Amino acid sequence: MLDFLFSGWGAFWMTMAMLLPFAGMFWYVIHRKSVVDCGPSTTLPAAMSRIESYWLTAVFVIFVTINLASLKFMPIMATALAATGGGPVQEVELTATSWKYEMSTREVEAGKPVRFSGRAKDTQHGFAVYHPDGRMLFTMLMMPGVSKATSVVRTFTETGTYKIRCLEYCGIAHHGMQDELIVVKSKVAT
Amino acid sequence: MTIATAIVNSTPVFGRMFNVDKSTGLEEINAWPALMIMASFIWLAVAGVLGLVMPATQIFNLDTGHFYTTLTLHGAALAFPFSFQLMIGVGLHRSGGCVGKAITGWLPAMTFITMNLGAAILTVAILMGFKVSLVVMFPLPLVGAQMGIWSMNTVIVGFTGIYLVLACMILLYPLLVLKMLFHGKKRPELVLAERSLNDPGMLGMTLSALTLLISGLPLVAVGTTLLLALYGVIPMSMAAWAAEPVVFQYVFFIFAHNLMEAMALMVTSAMYATLPLYLADGTRKLFSDKLANAGLWILLLTSITSFLHHFITSYPAQPAALAYWGNIMSWGTGIGAALSIFTVLATIWQHGLRAEPGIIMALLGWVLYILDGASAMVTSNIAWAYVLHGTMWQSGHVMTVILAMSVMWMGVLYHHYPVITGRKLDPVLGTWFIRLFTVGGFGAAISMLAGGAAGMPRRFADWNQEGWMIYGHLIVIFGLILGAAFVVYLYNLLQSRELNEAIGQRVGAT
Repeated sequence: MLDFLFSGWGAFWMTMAMLLPFAGMFWYVIHRKSVVDCGPSTTLPAAMSRIESYWLTAVFVIFVTINLASLKFMPIMATALAATGGGPVQEVELTATSWKYEMSTREVEAGKPVRFSGRAKDTQHGFAVYHPDGRMLFTMLMMPGVSKATSVVRTFTETGTYKIRCLEYCGIAHHGMQDELIVVKSKVAT
Repeated sequence: MTIATAIVNSTPVFGRMFNVDKSTGLEEINAWPALMIMASFIWLAVAGVLGLVMPATQIFNLDTGHFYTTLTLHGAALAFPFSFQLMIGVGLHRSGGCVGKAITGWLPAMTFITMNLGAAILTVAILMGFKVSLVVMFPLPLVGAQMGIWSMNTVIVGFTGIYLVLACMILLYPLLVLKMLFHGKKRPELVLAERSLNDPGMLGMTLSALTLLISGLPLVAVGTTLLLALYGVIPMSMAAWAAEPVVFQYVFFIFAHNLMEAMALMVTSAMYATLPLYLADGTRKLFSDKLANAGLWILLLTSITSFLHHFITSYPAQPAALAYWGNIMSWGTGIGAALSIFTVLATIWQHGLRAEPGIIMALLGWVLYILDGASAMVTSNIAWAYVLHGTMWQSGHVMTVILAMSVMWMGVLYHHYPVITGRKLDPVLGTWFIRLFTVGGFGAAISMLAGGAAGMPRRFADWNQEGWMIYGHLIVIFGLILGAAFVVYLYNLLQSRELNEAIGQRVGAT
């Protein structure tokens, strides 16, 4: 459930979940107070204050809950854990330049964390990894001239050929800046 | 007759929409706003056509270079000379009428000239090959010149245009607003609806002007340095600090992000000012001024540093602490929005609403703005940022915020139009605009968000990869409906002359 929520389509449905009740409430209030009965409301000020408190409390609780639930899915967390955990990590170092990637390897093993460390050589570039079924798994923004490489740690669970795309507009051949990453079965039984 | 009135009168087609009414003695607050609003709609026409050409280049498999050209042209025309200039025009008319001060002299003239000349120069540069997208993507302009994609002269022309537009938005317009609010003598004959600076209908205007000025000054410093180096006034070595991609990107987004927030503050304030005028029981009061102002302050304080969410996916180049901060502050803006939502709905609930097209347009823009706010908060969460950044989600977010705020201003313009021109707009056409915009605006926004959810990259000339073209088709269909809505709106402005119903009413008397 949470795995889906913190995917691209999960984001879409979360946005709709925020919009639709609000849009419905908006339509109801406007319709009710401009068509059905546009006279002054008989709702007492104390009741309005109560509604205000409920509304703000609900908004606050929902916002906090969503963000706390997302902690587990923040790649920054996984990257920080991998940096301090001391376990084996597969390293993929890459340099992005218009309009190609130089990568230390294009093959990684499933089931083991992979640390992608990327730098941009000329202008801004992205490094987005797409699952073989077309879903985007994550993206990295790389800016030239920064001292630290952009980094993400990811553990692939499925083998296959993953598409890599640049998602930062980098000029007239930006759409052709692509590569592939092959995820193979683990060579050592874990 | 002022020079602004003369320009409006001599402009074909669009000039007929905004012929200034000189019979009321209000030309000093009507003329420059009328010219700016007219110019903004000319740019809308340009941006609208380009917005449809952009997906068409993909659907008909045209040269990918055309896509990137129209992408840059469309974004630049829509965001600055249309949306921002519309805000300047209607916003100035509001503030002029609220504080009773003339909008005359060199400052409004320079505001108009720098915005439109700058946008025109940038357009020339783009047509010369300067395909850098709306957000410049620095250091792409310089890298493109080094790679021979465009010439260094093109870069100089493009940067000159951008600099003029920025000078308008960061310096001239905020100074003009602040001068009107804090300096000069009030002229009672120009007061249409007097408001104090603490009034929710004015507070957003002050905060917005200060936000633009303060958040934009670092970009002015960087832009001035780069431009001086490009023109050879100072050696390139002296501009090296400003040409650092990190420096440019951070100062750019400190401004660009807060530009959108400043526009939100301004339009929220306009909503607070306009809504009470359409309450059914004639009370002309918001549910709570304190709550309304609290919403504006929270929005301001949280949004200032939430720009950090633009760089979440560059971790650890941007430290994690700043990413978390950007995440939290971005969701904090939602608290400010929640207060504003409650204020608007509670006001309508308590006092009833006269559902005229102008106020319904403004409220419709408000709902679209909430959709945009939700999409912005979602993409500012660190977990979601990693699966949405760089996708069509972001394009949908930017287009939606520009569209939402523009429609809110177009609704507010309904209210100001009779004062400016002495003519009345047709409510039936207004209702048709609302119907078409509801379908087109929400349809286009949701299609773009869905494309982003499916991983469709933004600023990307090949939507056929991974079957993303379906979203392209949806964007075109809803874009056409949206285009039809704007045509109806402009036709309403054009034919209002034929109604010949000069009502001569002042805004404050409605």
